[in-house]
Amino acid sequence: MSKGKRLLIIDDDPDFVEGILSILETAGYEVETAYNPKDGFDALESKQYDLLLLDIMMGRGAEGVMIARKMRKDPKLREMPVLIITGIREQIAYLFPGQPMHPHFVEVDELVEKPVEPDFLLERVSALIKAAEDRKAKG
Amino acid sequence: MAKPSFSDEIANLLHAGHGNPLRTCIQCGTCSGTCPVVEYMDHTPRRIIGMIRANLKDEVLASNTYWYCASCYHCTVRCPAQIDIAETMYALKRYSIWKHVHQEGLVGPVFSETFVKTILRSGRSFEPILATSYLFSSGARELIQEAFMGTKMMLKGRMPVLPPRIKRLDNFKRMVSRVIPLEADS
Amino acid sequence: MKEFAYFPGCSLEKVGLSYHLSTVETTRKLGVDLKELEDWNCCGATTYFHVDELLAYTLCARNLAMAEKDNLDLVAPCSACYKNSYFTNKHLKEDPDLAEHINYALEEDNLNFSGQIEVKHLIEVFVHDVGLEEIRNNVSMPLEGLRVAPYYGCQILRPRKDHEDVEQAEFFEDLLSAIGAEPIPYPLKLKCCGGSLILSSREAALSMVRNLLQNAEDNGAEVIATACPMCQVNLECYQQQVNQEFGTRFSVPVVYFTQLMGLALGIPAKKLGIGKEIVAATPLAPYAR
Repeated sequence: MSKGKRLLIIDDDPDFVEGILSILETAGYEVETAYNPKDGFDALESKQYDLLLLDIMMGRGAEGVMIARKMRKDPKLREMPVLIITGIREQIAYLFPGQPMHPHFVEVDELVEKPVEPDFLLERVSALIKAAEDRKAKG
Repeated sequence: MAKPSFSDEIANLLHAGHGNPLRTCIQCGTCSGTCPVVEYMDHTPRRIIGMIRANLKDEVLASNTYWYCASCYHCTVRCPAQIDIAETMYALKRYSIWKHVHQEGLVGPVFSETFVKTILRSGRSFEPILATSYLFSSGARELIQEAFMGTKMMLKGRMPVLPPRIKRLDNFKRMVSRVIPLEADS
Repeated sequence: MKEFAYFPGCSLEKVGLSYHLSTVETTRKLGVDLKELEDWNCCGATTYFHVDELLAYTLCARNLAMAEKDNLDLVAPCSACYKNSYFTNKHLKEDPDLAEHINYALEEDNLNFSGQIEVKHLIEVFVHDVGLEEIRNNVSMPLEGLRVAPYYGCQILRPRKDHEDVEQAEFFEDLLSAIGAEPIPYPLKLKCCGGSLILSSREAALSMVRNLLQNAEDNGAEVIATACPMCQVNLECYQQQVNQEFGTRFSVPVVYFTQLMGLALGIPAKKLGIGKEIVAATPLAPYAR
């Protein structure tokens, strides 16, 4: 299933990226990484990916939300499935206790909280890619 | 893309999150010579920039330097390499708050968190809550000093008794949740 | 009639009440109309930006958008409110992506930022918009012989806003001269008062306050004039702690520049909030009505 599929990770935490990168590469995905929102969006605009793994808290604040909103406005990018992986609760929930809010900005997306189990990660990545393909096939 | 160094991580947090301005530092020490708080810092600003560039992550984060920055921006306007040093201190604060890795026993992080929390609840800041809640983490002496001064100011009509709040607080809270995507537990 | 949107900021509600009172009185006397923002929120002082910049921009932009609604430039008497509002305005104007995202948040309060207005510090309004000549013409009680230390503090000048001279500013002195007072040479006039370190790193802040007081005293100041409520509180209200800590005997009144202007313009002292000091402003007595 993972053969020939290209993924992009946009996340500012090098250690977390290192971890999921090795899980995804071992499973046969071709993975690219961007460590800040600007590089990340540049990559999205210039290349083709089958799925985006997106962090929320980056750079100046919740820039992951900015990226997702920009994707929604782009007819091509809004088709791309997005797996949001966030540690927001750990990072700033001291401000007010709460659940991470699922933004639902693109057609196929899902939100999970860090840390993620390898099997669960692989299962969700492949499920989201399939859901996006099914959606496209139905037209 | 190659795994970023600590120095790149900090640069990624700076305004517009792109490029690494710290690389242009010539270690001239103008910042340290200008800083009004330098004698209280574990490491001078010049040294902290050098340490970031050398990727001495643990040592940088464990220092009090960035929490002692008073945001006076004197270093920023004088830096011959145009590095926004005060913003770099902000980036370090943000990094350490998000990752909960700052030095133990500092009042600075508690102050920031209390301040922002107060505003997110009411839209306005309220000195008495602020003063007491973060002074509790410093010590009895400061608390007594503060209470003493508070009383004097109260007598002069300069201390608020009730916490102020803005009128359109519901709109305000929904507005905040659009930039910080957390929803309150119901 | 010059009209501005007025953003008093949290400090002016109580701790810096005299600043608010004297701002209202002096602007009225000089034909400047201040319209208070109807539901302003806190600017974040020195804390939002290191917790979450996007949140910081959103909160400052809410105030800017309210001023835009009235199509008025925003004026802030507090240096922190001024600096935060100024740079939010600047960054949002320069970065349409950022402005778009912040506007998405502002929608929740039926507001929109379009970048149509400017942000000014109150002292700029007097020096540039009203003009020193006009001020001089309105002085009825020149503060002759009053030796004043012009304390600029940090954020009026820093970070650099525009083309101003961040190292050798003179406009505060010029304003004091225009009302007949004698600005003394004050070498530390641009040095920091410690800001919020007074609560988070007290030892450091008290020594910064001490240096400023010492420098004013050494140069013969009878009063220190400030243009920021945080500077005023640090320099005045913590004087006793400084004296305890360092064995000094400072007793220097610290007043807002608008209070001095008000006296010179013949406004009764009480209306300017004079009398709310912890260190009594005795040197002002000869000029007070």
